[in-house]
Amino acid sequence: MIRRRRRSGVHAVTIGALPRGEALAPSFASAAETCLDDVFGYLLYLTKDRPLAEDLTGATFETALRRWRRFDPRRGTARAWLLAIARSTALDWFRADARRRRREARVGVAELPTSDDDALGEGFSPALESALRELTAGEREVLALRVVLELDGEETARLLGISATAVSTRLHRALGKLEERMRHDDVA
Amino acid sequence: MTSPDLIRELQASKPVAPDALRMRVREIAPTQAVQLRRRLRFSLPRPAFVLVPAAAALVVAIGAAGVIGLARSGGSGDVAAQNAKAVQHGVAGGSTRTNPAVLGPATTTQEQAASPPQVLGYTGAGAAVAPTQGRAQDVQATLTVKVADSDHVSKAAQDALDLTRSLGGHVVSASVATGDQAQATLTVRIPVARTQDAVARLSALGTIVSQQVSIQDLQERLDALVRRARSVRAQIVKITARLDSQQLSPEQRAALELRRQSLRSELRSLRQSIRSTGSEARFATIELSVVTPESQGVVPAPSRLDRSLDKALEVVVWEGIVALVALLVGAPLAILALAAWVLRRMYRKHEEDRLLATS
Repeated sequence: MIRRRRRSGVHAVTIGALPRGEALAPSFASAAETCLDDVFGYLLYLTKDRPLAEDLTGATFETALRRWRRFDPRRGTARAWLLAIARSTALDWFRADARRRRREARVGVAELPTSDDDALGEGFSPALESALRELTAGEREVLALRVVLELDGEETARLLGISATAVSTRLHRALGKLEERMRHDDVA
Repeated sequence: MTSPDLIRELQASKPVAPDALRMRVREIAPTQAVQLRRRLRFSLPRPAFVLVPAAAALVVAIGAAGVIGLARSGGSGDVAAQNAKAVQHGVAGGSTRTNPAVLGPATTTQEQAASPPQVLGYTGAGAAVAPTQGRAQDVQATLTVKVADSDHVSKAAQDALDLTRSLGGHVVSASVATGDQAQATLTVRIPVARTQDAVARLSALGTIVSQQVSIQDLQERLDALVRRARSVRAQIVKITARLDSQQLSPEQRAALELRRQSLRSELRSLRQSIRSTGSEARFATIELSVVTPESQGVVPAPSRLDRSLDKALEVVVWEGIVALVALLVGAPLAILALAAWVLRRMYRKHEEDRLLATS
C-alpha cells in the first residue's frame, strides 16, 4: 500500500479555468471514469512499472475522492487536478522508495531486480520500448504529458511547477534522446 | 525515426488502464450518477488571500475602536457636567466666585446685608440684589460676561463705559485687549442706588459667565465716627468755654489749649473719615470682565460624535501600538518561518528533480 506523506499543495494547481460562473463540476465517478486512462498512462510512463502504476493510480483516486470537495472547476479541469494528485502521489512513493533503498543498503540487503517486462504502451516496438525505459523519469513524464496526454505547454508547466520554456526544453531533450536511442538501435 | 514519427507512435499506443484497476476505481468512486451542482465556493485570486484578512483585521480594529469610542463617550448628562466643570475651571479664578448655573436665585434681607460681607451669586441679569436703602454700605460687584469674538469685546467695553456715564458713575480703570486673546477689564463706580440697574444692564452685554456681589455694611462704623466727632466737638466747646470764662493759671491754660488742639486735630481726622466712608458708601465698585471663548480658556465641550471619534482614535492608536509591537516581535519569527518554508520548498524541488533524473 502506498503511504502518502504529503497532502498539501495539490489542490492549488490551476489549469485552464472554466469561464466564470460555470460551477457545474462533474461527479467524481464520471471524472474518474473519464480520466482513469490518462492518470494510469501518466503514472506508467513515470514509474515504467505497471503494477506500481496501478497501485499509484488507485491511491491517486482514493486521495482524490477525499479531496473532491476541494476541487473547483473554475480553477482547472478535473484531469489536471487528478494528474497533479497523481504526480504528488508518485513523488511521495519515489521518496519513500529512495529512503527504503538507503535503509536496505545500510544493512546490506541486496536490491531486488526490477521487472522490465511490462510494456509501457500497447503496440510499442521493442526499440521504442527500450529507448523509453532509458529516459529519466522526468523526461518520460514530460513526454507523457505533452505527447501522450496532449496537454499544452502552459498546463504542463503549471503541473510540473516549472516554466513553459523549461517544459519545451525538457521535451526536446527527451525526444532527441529518444531519436538517438532509436537511431543507435537501428544502426546496431 | 524522426520526432514526428515518434510522437505519432507514442500517441497511437496510449496506455489503457486494465479492467481490474477500472473496477477498483469504480468501487472507490461514489455510485451516484446524478451530477450534483456543487455549492459555489467563494474563491478569490491569490493576492486576496493576504489582502482580505488584512482588510478584515483593519475593519475589525476600526469597528472595535468605534464601538469602544461610542461606549466611552458618555451621554448628554456628562456633557452638562463637563460644561459646568469647564466653566468653573476656566473662569473661577477666586474661591468666592460662583457659577450662575449652580446657584439658585439669591435673596437678601436687612440682616444679610450686615457685616460680615455677603457674597451672593445671581442666576440672571435681572436678579441682582439691591443694597439696603438708608444704610451706608460698601458694595462690590464682579461680573464676567462672555461675548462671541474680539469685535464684540470692544463693543461691550464701549457700551459698559457709556452705561457707567449714563448712570452717573465714573471709570476707575479700563483695559481692553483685542486679537486672539481679546479681553476687557473695567472697574467702574456706580451710585449705590443704581447698582441693581447697573449690574443688570452690564450683565446683558453678553453671556453671563459669573457674577459676584459683595455687600459690607459701613453704617455702624459711620455712626461710630459721627458719635466720636460729636463728642470731640462737645469737648472742644467745653474747653473753649473754660478758657474764655474762668481764671486759670498759666499752666492750666496751656494744658487746656494743648488738649483743645489735639481734639481739633482728631475732629479733622474724624470728619475726613466720615467723608471718606460716606463717599465709599455712595458708590458701588463694579469690576467687569468681558471675555471671549478663546481668551476665557474654555474649550467648547465637544459633541458626543467628537468625543466618540476622539476615543475611537485613541483606541486605534493603541491598536496600532499593539500591532507594531506584535510586528516587531513577530517579524523575526515570521521571517524565519518564511525562510524555513522557502528552504523546505527548494529542498523538495531539488529532491523531486533528483528523483525524476533517475530512470
